[in-house]
Amino acid sequence: MIFSELYSAYYNTVARILTAAIEQPLEKKELRTIIEETAFGESILNIEPALCGERWQLLHKDGTTSLRHTPTMPLTTLQKRWLKAISLDARIRLFTDDFPALDDVEPLFTADDFCVFDRYTDGDAFEDAAYINNFRTILDALRNRYPLSITMITPNGNEKHFHVMPKSLEYSEKDDKFRLITSGCRFSTIINLGRIVSCERFEGSFSVQPSENARPHTLEVELTDERNALERVLLHFAHFEKEVERLDEKHYMLRMQYDKNDETELVIRILSFGPLVRVTSPQSFVELIRQRLIRQMQCGERGDREDSIPQLSAQNTAADNKSEESKP
Amino acid sequence: MAYSELVKNFNKIRDYMREFYVYGFRSREEFTKKSARSYDDERRRMESWLGDYMRFRQTADGKNVFLSIDSRVSRHNPFYKAWKTKSFTDGDITLHFILFDILHDTEISMTLSEITECMDDYLCDFAKPKMFDESTVRKKLKEYVEEGILLSEKQGKTVFYRRAQQTPLCDADVLDFFSEVAPCGVVGSYLLDKQDCRSDRFSFKHHYITGAMDSEILCSLFQAMQEKRFVTLEIAHRAHAHITESRVAPLRVMMSVQNGRQYLMAYTRRYRRMISTRLDNILSVKTGEVCADFDAHRQRLDEMMPHMWGVSTQSLSGEHLEQVSFTIRYADDERHIPKRLEREKRCGTIEQIDANTCRFTAEVYDAAELIPWMRTFLCRITEYSFSNPALQKRFTEDIQAMYRLYGIEEGGCT
Repeated sequence: MIFSELYSAYYNTVARILTAAIEQPLEKKELRTIIEETAFGESILNIEPALCGERWQLLHKDGTTSLRHTPTMPLTTLQKRWLKAISLDARIRLFTDDFPALDDVEPLFTADDFCVFDRYTDGDAFEDAAYINNFRTILDALRNRYPLSITMITPNGNEKHFHVMPKSLEYSEKDDKFRLITSGCRFSTIINLGRIVSCERFEGSFSVQPSENARPHTLEVELTDERNALERVLLHFAHFEKEVERLDEKHYMLRMQYDKNDETELVIRILSFGPLVRVTSPQSFVELIRQRLIRQMQCGERGDREDSIPQLSAQNTAADNKSEESKP
Repeated sequence: MAYSELVKNFNKIRDYMREFYVYGFRSREEFTKKSARSYDDERRRMESWLGDYMRFRQTADGKNVFLSIDSRVSRHNPFYKAWKTKSFTDGDITLHFILFDILHDTEISMTLSEITECMDDYLCDFAKPKMFDESTVRKKLKEYVEEGILLSEKQGKTVFYRRAQQTPLCDADVLDFFSEVAPCGVVGSYLLDKQDCRSDRFSFKHHYITGAMDSEILCSLFQAMQEKRFVTLEIAHRAHAHITESRVAPLRVMMSVQNGRQYLMAYTRRYRRMISTRLDNILSVKTGEVCADFDAHRQRLDEMMPHMWGVSTQSLSGEHLEQVSFTIRYADDERHIPKRLEREKRCGTIEQIDANTCRFTAEVYDAAELIPWMRTFLCRITEYSFSNPALQKRFTEDIQAMYRLYGIEEGGCT
């Protein structure tokens, strides 16, 4: 059972409280700090009176406990089965060659039991030795906070070399790619791991320039709830910070925050909903949609005709130079 | 019953979380048709668990509460917190910690009577000591043996209990990553809770977190698949607001990383065909008997998959398979476009017509599933064709409607 008190925030909090009480009698202040750090906003209203009022007979009034050993619990079968399942995932080798042996454990799921059907097929080469090596170097740099010297191939096929301070590793399930988020480099703040040729610790002096977080942009979209569009659109854009307002029985306004760097991707995602969504703001985004539609009209698209393909003017096709691929 | 931060039944909170996160435009009055108190309790719980993400908006219809989460920033799925709120009794928690203190080492092996007797030593110093009878302790021991955290051994007629071997925990980075990307990732979050430090070295783009709410359903389906068993599903049909039961052989869960939906592909003996059911519509899963033909059904699904764009295994037209094709043109400096087509084509095929033109073709059960994706190529489509005339008409009319929506008339601009 996934929903069990064995995994609850309350059990974890009490385990931490008892661990502290075994070491020395626990002060109320310390008790409250542990609750605030480990449990939820209102938990202090429940855990403290339950322990101090002896409803949970684990902590004495003087802050001591009858327990003699630090509270621990073996892994449940469910936890072991999940670990076994992820040990079968190719991406585990990015982290380690020595995953804990779980020989007598059945996996909770295998590759036959689920299928991600819309993932892009040009994902990173997770089983490639050089890729694994680069990944591990980057992870070590993140753990120990040191700069890296990186050589990569740009989308244009040129080799670039630079020094960066790694900030985090970003993974996209859709692209099936890792990107390194960095600071301290004018060339690029986001580096596709798949483009890295070599990566090693940078031993020279390195000063990190404070980077400014990009200001999010707000996209406003009016949607018409036909063909279940309301649910489809809201689920599709669920991962953005967003707000929905009902305009009338059939129309809604969706406002979401987006990163300007992802604008082209967002344009095509909006287009996928056809006439059931209309971008109302910002005007620059509206114009991007309009330009695509104007060019589509100029394509002279024809449905269900088998004769020759109409020629496009160079102007039409060259106008869209912005890559729909991910950033380098 | 007095308000409690903890809950007994996850399904109720599951509905509210989805409502506040995915939609978030309904006012309190719309929720309180059934019970105002229930709404107030669930809203208060969510504020306690997910307060950082709660937002409020005052409208003419009343105050709206919603959850707004940028999953690219949050790093850990906030909804996992909801899975850590199971209620329990005062006796449950007291017994739990004392029991594992008594059985603190895997070498210690004790009978029920010995454990029960030992417990009194832990409790006697309290003003009103709890007394656990043997039947209560036996029930808890049995529950923990089933969970795999205790082992029972019979010696003659006597049963001995001891704690299970400790499995070494893996690296926090492994748990951090897989708890976000692997199915049933909440289990990884439970494992992370056992570690003192969190790594926070990973962030996630295009990260759909709603599936977390369906973790129990997904887990039950995986367990049934591993044992090749039938399941009885209780399914909510939200449009018609009714619930049905369906007995099926669960074969595979289809997951989308482009909208976060998860579907169960299953064989239904009643209708003798494959069906797909959204996991967020499944209210409960009851595991039944072993399905003797499980492997044959799964093989049949494997054979069907080269004609499935998404999860549909039949078309509205009634045709066995539908054909769809479209042609795109791109400039010399737009080599990323055919690359994009290639990486996104799934079961389709691509034919290079000339240096700047290629054609996509697919034969699928339901060509309607391709329409949203085809629209992402608008501005380059020079030809398209559906064998289903209704889809041909819809695609054409939708493009015309989009032109009108943005004030574009023949000639290219207004």
